[in-house]
Amino acid sequence: MLPGRSRLWAAFALVALALPALAETTKDFTIRGFGTLGAVRTNSDDVEFVRDISQPRGATDHWNARTDSVLGVQANWRLTPAIEAVVQGISRYRYDRTFKPEIAWAYLKIDPNPALSLRLGRLGTEFFMLADSRLVGYSYLTVRPPGDYFWYLPFYSVNGADAALTVPVGDSVLRGKVYYGIADGKIPLADKQWKIDGSPLMGAYLEYQTGSWLLRGSYANIRFNSSLPIADDVAALVPGIVSPAQARAGLDYLETDGTRSHYYSLGLVYDSGPWQFQLMLNAVDQGSKAFENSWAGYVLAGYRIGSVTPYIGYSHVDSTRRTATVHPLVARVRADSRAEQGTAILGARWDVMPSLALKAQWDAIRGDSSSIFPYRREQADWDGRLDAFSLSMDFVF
Amino acid sequence: MSRLPSRILILLALVLPAPLAQATGALAVVVNARCGVAVMTRNEVINIFFGRYRQFFNGREALPVDLVDDHPVRGQFYRRLVGKDLAEVNAYWSRQIFSGRLQALPKVSTPDEAIKWIAAQPCGIGFIEQAKADARFNIVYELAP
Repeated sequence: MLPGRSRLWAAFALVALALPALAETTKDFTIRGFGTLGAVRTNSDDVEFVRDISQPRGATDHWNARTDSVLGVQANWRLTPAIEAVVQGISRYRYDRTFKPEIAWAYLKIDPNPALSLRLGRLGTEFFMLADSRLVGYSYLTVRPPGDYFWYLPFYSVNGADAALTVPVGDSVLRGKVYYGIADGKIPLADKQWKIDGSPLMGAYLEYQTGSWLLRGSYANIRFNSSLPIADDVAALVPGIVSPAQARAGLDYLETDGTRSHYYSLGLVYDSGPWQFQLMLNAVDQGSKAFENSWAGYVLAGYRIGSVTPYIGYSHVDSTRRTATVHPLVARVRADSRAEQGTAILGARWDVMPSLALKAQWDAIRGDSSSIFPYRREQADWDGRLDAFSLSMDFVF
Repeated sequence: MSRLPSRILILLALVLPAPLAQATGALAVVVNARCGVAVMTRNEVINIFFGRYRQFFNGREALPVDLVDDHPVRGQFYRRLVGKDLAEVNAYWSRQIFSGRLQALPKVSTPDEAIKWIAAQPCGIGFIEQAKADARFNIVYELAP
């Protein structure tokens, strides 16, 4: 494991040092980028700690550079003052256990007037506030977006379109956006992958910005168009425990194909002088009986002292148990989507120079031993308690 | 790998705080006089320099110009306008740019270039030392030291 990991570190270090020289600007064409070199370890090997459920393996009690490290490069090409083409490629640890680069964004943006903005192409998803910049570590205070809030959100890119309208209200600003697209991606489940490619999703949000305050309410939904990859597990269960007919009934009951999940969220941000404050709440209403509904929230506060910003926060996620079942298959699949835990977050961001930040963070996770949805490879010893220690270097160029 | 230590030294040299040039007196947000904008509120100035809203009250499109990071007037401007360090301003812009919401503002290297830029755009807006604002510009907002 070690040689591979140090190769990864060396590659990232070289890239981090070399790329700023590549950042280039002409009047109409710009290349920029962002990246994070991160390392995280926990105090347990009972579960693997991941950034969100798009990652198949995670960190245990050894330092792990895969979880948080990411590199992105973006080209902006302004065709006319009102039309812009943008392509963003990223490399991060993804569903297939590789850092294979992928196109995260590729769109044409048209601004017919200063109030209206239309985009068509491959776009990031904005299910919750800040979700479309989750990989740009330099843009936020913490090492990674609070997990209890974002673990549920493995959707990163859609092929579709969005429209945003901005309206002034006195010297405040009201902004609304609607979007529609076809999801593109896979979610790793044990040693298999659940395809969400082709699932249509849509959403909208309304935000109001006044002075240092920003308030946003949002709604989104996705209609899954494939079944969970659990048929093999069922086949393995069948001989001893359930009859083929019962197994069939269980699979039908847990069907995800054709079901729609709804995501509601509310976000409040205060950002003034040395203070930063965020309060976010979300609720997820799952259409399939395979998953438990959930709600989550976090508060985060930071205060800058010189170039260092210490921060403190708390996040919580709780899924709602469905009615009891005697069907062993149903019980087992549902148990996999259970989350009931809170995390205290303590850390500091040091802005070493205007485009480079170093961060250190401690996540103290305290939850129920049944809380396994946010993790990978949970062992029988898992008791719901986990401390994660993270270091990161975030940069933009 | 043997070259890394020297790179780290260069990095450290960049990290050590550079002596900040002293504030040069009042800064002014100025708009090209032909645009017909005489005064703005602080929030309106923030809206334009943070890309929240790009129109003046008279409906004309604002064309803001910013300075490069290493010019001390840039740091003074944002500290006085919103009480933020440049790192925080840059963090804000990296979120806007890499989520495709906004394009970065055009940047010039010196306040003198900003003056030329604003004078050349019908609704150009920028920040300069107040003493340098001549009849081509309307001072729409003042930022005392």
